[in-house]
Amino acid sequence: MKRLSLLLLITAAGCFAQNAAPAVPTYKQLVYPPLKEVRPPEPVEVTLSNGMRVFLLENHELPVVRGFAMVRTGNLFDPSDKRGLSQVMGEVLRSGGTKTKTGDQIDEDLENVAASVESSMGETSATVSFSGLKETEDQVLAVFKDVLTAPEFRQDKIDLTLNQFRGGIARRNDDASEIPRRELLSLLYGRDNSYGWSTEYEHLNRIKRQDLIDFYTRYYFPKNIMLAVYGDFNVAQMQAKLEQLLGSWKAEQAPVPAFPQVTNKPAPGIHFAARADVTQTFFSIGHLGGTLRDKDYPALEVATNILGEGFKSRLMSQIRTKLGYAYSIGATWAANYNHPGTFRIGGSTKSASTVETIQAIRTEIDKMRAAEVTPVELSEAKESVLNSFVFFFDNPEKTLNRVMQYAYFGYPKDFLFQYQKAIASVTRADVLRVMKQYVKPEDLVIVAVGNPKEMPKPLSTVGTVQELDLTIPQPKQETAAADAASITKGKALLAKAQQAMGGADKIAAIKDVTVTARLNLPPAQGGPIAMTGYSMPGPVRQEQTLPFGKVIVFSDGKTGWIGTPQGVQEMPGEVLKQMQGEIFRQLPAIFLADRMAGVTVNAVSDTAVEISGNGQSFRFEFDAATGLPAKMTYLDGGMEATEAYSDWREVGGIKLPFVSKLDAGPLTVSEYKFNTGLKVEDLGKRP
Amino acid sequence: MRTRLLLLLLPGLLCAQSLQDFEKKVTSFTLPNGLQFLVIERHDAPVVSFHTYVNAGAVDDPGGSTGLAHMFEHMAFKGTPQIGSKNWVKEKAALDAIERAYDRLEAERNKSFRSDKAKIAQLEAALKDAIATADSYVESNEYDRIVESNGGVGMNAGTSEDSTQYFYSFPSNRLELWFVMESERFLRPVMREFYKERDVVREERRMRVESNPQGMLVEALLATAFEAHPYHNFAGGWASDIESFRRTDAEAFFKKYYVPGNMVISIAGDVNPTQAKALAQKYFGRIPAGKNPPLVRTVEPEQNGEKRVKVASPAQPFLVVGYKRPDDQSPDAPALDVLTEILSGGRTGILYKEMVRDQQIALAAQAISTYPGSKYPSLFLLFAIPNTGKTVEETEKALYSILERVKGETVDPVALQRVKTKLRAGLIQSLDDNSGLADTLASYQAKYGDWRKVFTELDEYNKVTAADVQRVAKQYLIETARTVAWTYAPQAEGAAK
Repeated sequence: MKRLSLLLLITAAGCFAQNAAPAVPTYKQLVYPPLKEVRPPEPVEVTLSNGMRVFLLENHELPVVRGFAMVRTGNLFDPSDKRGLSQVMGEVLRSGGTKTKTGDQIDEDLENVAASVESSMGETSATVSFSGLKETEDQVLAVFKDVLTAPEFRQDKIDLTLNQFRGGIARRNDDASEIPRRELLSLLYGRDNSYGWSTEYEHLNRIKRQDLIDFYTRYYFPKNIMLAVYGDFNVAQMQAKLEQLLGSWKAEQAPVPAFPQVTNKPAPGIHFAARADVTQTFFSIGHLGGTLRDKDYPALEVATNILGEGFKSRLMSQIRTKLGYAYSIGATWAANYNHPGTFRIGGSTKSASTVETIQAIRTEIDKMRAAEVTPVELSEAKESVLNSFVFFFDNPEKTLNRVMQYAYFGYPKDFLFQYQKAIASVTRADVLRVMKQYVKPEDLVIVAVGNPKEMPKPLSTVGTVQELDLTIPQPKQETAAADAASITKGKALLAKAQQAMGGADKIAAIKDVTVTARLNLPPAQGGPIAMTGYSMPGPVRQEQTLPFGKVIVFSDGKTGWIGTPQGVQEMPGEVLKQMQGEIFRQLPAIFLADRMAGVTVNAVSDTAVEISGNGQSFRFEFDAATGLPAKMTYLDGGMEATEAYSDWREVGGIKLPFVSKLDAGPLTVSEYKFNTGLKVEDLGKRP
Repeated sequence: MRTRLLLLLLPGLLCAQSLQDFEKKVTSFTLPNGLQFLVIERHDAPVVSFHTYVNAGAVDDPGGSTGLAHMFEHMAFKGTPQIGSKNWVKEKAALDAIERAYDRLEAERNKSFRSDKAKIAQLEAALKDAIATADSYVESNEYDRIVESNGGVGMNAGTSEDSTQYFYSFPSNRLELWFVMESERFLRPVMREFYKERDVVREERRMRVESNPQGMLVEALLATAFEAHPYHNFAGGWASDIESFRRTDAEAFFKKYYVPGNMVISIAGDVNPTQAKALAQKYFGRIPAGKNPPLVRTVEPEQNGEKRVKVASPAQPFLVVGYKRPDDQSPDAPALDVLTEILSGGRTGILYKEMVRDQQIALAAQAISTYPGSKYPSLFLLFAIPNTGKTVEETEKALYSILERVKGETVDPVALQRVKTKLRAGLIQSLDDNSGLADTLASYQAKYGDWRKVFTELDEYNKVTAADVQRVAKQYLIETARTVAWTYAPQAEGAAK
């Protein structure tokens, strides 16, 4: 055993090979030839007759033409009550099609020739881009123009996008590694402004097609757009082509205002969210930083490079290599073009070493602020920036992008070379000075997500901990303003409906209801489902017959359960909330809303009332001719849901709808039975 | 009408043109020790990208040491006798002392219930001391520092089931430095700081698998779908194996699998092929030839019925479905790739159009032609993220109804042509990126024995008919060869009372 391992060691260490192989220089003996001079390409800048600035860069390596329009807008311009608007707009600008083609038609047209046109919305700019083989240039440019200048924002794609965004909200806490950075940025920039707030269901619910059109109209006009085109073309010909294509687009708007200022004064502290499903603590630590324009930005780059960028950095050496605490750990001085960025340290470590890792990070920051870095550290950090400088120019498209960014944010054309010079002149004293001046341990905000059960030392060992609440807010029921007149009017509308149904007293006489119905889903979604519902004022039981067996749902409004062939499960909180809404809206009891304590019936128009109370709210629209309810609108799991009623027939002296058109499909009732003597115990009986 | 015509013309033209043009830029040669090189000239900018493809991955992990291929990948950054040591003679002695201390500790632990706890504690302390002694000779991260301070960018490596790959880029005047650094680490790697790095690798598993619902789900899918073949093990390895394999295990793995004949290296950018060949001989010629490693012996037995596994997770639900499929040498491989594109390519893939866009059952749905590898029979993978309010059951059902339709009718000829056009254009658009080129060509050379397959594969795609697509769908997407994995919300504690 011993001999064997010894033998392996010798071989692996390469002693035999070393002796046999001819001598070669070590890395220290190498002498490098000077690097070939780099001449960055110069894009040609022109302005179209409508005021759009255009940057053109020829490159004939591949038969490809690509480009992008950069629009001065961004999600920083989202209205507070309709957060997410700009991004929804950016998405539907493309998917919602144009005046002449639907988005789906555009998908097929472009992909048939392997081309693309895409739209996206960032924080401080939006882009509409295109890409295609040279042969398809005219076709792709025509679609690009159409998307940029004549979007139609079709409602089905607005709904799809809102739905996708809602899914994003529901899933935003699933991957624990994504949480700390997001929450840190919110804490640093403040949750009350577009730099730091998050989009919630309630904001999405307020976004309507007209909002998208208004946002588009305000920002997408020629003088507010810079266009870059790159690839296999002739500059003069492309210029003429663009003038012909886009010159007639003359939309005008007032100049777009400046982006909002960052005004938040974040409070330092530790914020912790507990999770039972992780074995690591994910953390992000930081404070507000600066812009690329700051005179000390180059020195800060060098300083954070030494502290925590790449394998050679102090954080990596100490926390990953020496301590083995983390796989990922790093620091960055994330500066922006036009507003303060952040200084951040992020990573993850096994739960048990959380406290030690945070202490080790603090120690490394303190050391950087207490003494100068070594000459070797400084020269290696500077060399890694200066020697890799050529990678700023390894692809002409990168140069074009940079020229665009500088022009967009008003930076000097030679900014990159100024930066290069500044890096070369950074001294050890500069590094110490900027670390002391700009990195403030006392200002650090720490956000961590982890499993406290696996932590032998609580996080409070490193400071006072505040709980970070990651609960996703369910949309608030929005109720219209009510006054005495609107309430009187609302009650009158409801009274008219009661009358049309057969009278309030007859409705009041119903003590329990049994409904037999069928939900007619399209075949693609599983086909029709047979169901029976039992309800009394309060508890509800629903039985559905599905291909794999019977599903029974019960709730009394406080608790509930779901029974499937696999067994009975307690009702999850979200479903319970939905059930509470269903119980509140239960037909026919809800038609007596005017007799319920704490419930308001308020007219919101001449034919609609809003019924609210017990944390619930929904709207009834009445048929002006018959006085009967025509449609119910409510929020279900964050989304607007509707039920439209028809086929009213008389049962036991009152009229009830035999068809309810739900969003999923029509629900047809075959029978209503009243007062069969249902008991709560029977309803709540588990299978 | 114009569009149609264009479609018919495009494919043949572009292919012939690009391969002919491209061949002029590629030089390939093999050293006497069996190491293959590809040099791709692109002189536009003074930069160069390097890609080393080792035809060994997690499938080659020895039993009881899953994760070892990945562990070695980490160790390949730890330096050599000259790089990373303050005093190699003393360090080497200290490294050997660690293994002797570890031998003693293992011997005591292996006594199982008869082992002496006090003695174990004592031996553990001795091991810790031995490690500390060896660490005192280490020049930490010197390998990385040399590369980074010379302007190296994008330095990283990855271990998959089938392969291990190392890559980064340099300014082109650092060409020779790359030859020194890369040849040294595969000539005489020193696995210093092994046990610290083992902790790092353990952390990586915590991050990617244990704290990530999708990671846990995929791990469960593989462990269920493959009962015998090592695709059973997620490439990162099992926690207990990572916590116990030894430096000697990694050294044995290196010796067996990192032989020159089992590696392909490609260099793309501003490089002279004659000079590259001379440097390759000078530096990599030093590595002795070795016996090519064996293939995995175990063949996964035929699956005999659907397998289902669910993973408890508080996260929103997620569904993965895998069907057994043949390896990438199979004549059916091109048709399966085309099927993948038809199902999930771009905005016109059937899964997106129907499940995401029209029915809104899923937030995302995608097909992956072969997972977790392709060197051995693998899985045709489908995954879907149910939309809010939709269940995994509904999503699964919608997915199957699409697959049944694909099996029941031949695909739309326009859709088929679209896929072929996209595959071709995608290749052309990828030819102006050094690191991408180095990666693709090295991988194809290693997997198929000829980098030209990158281009000729398009001809294979072009020959795929609608009937072929339907045939492979019918042949492979069958219930008895299916494994389904999904996440579900466990009952809250106390709720069951």
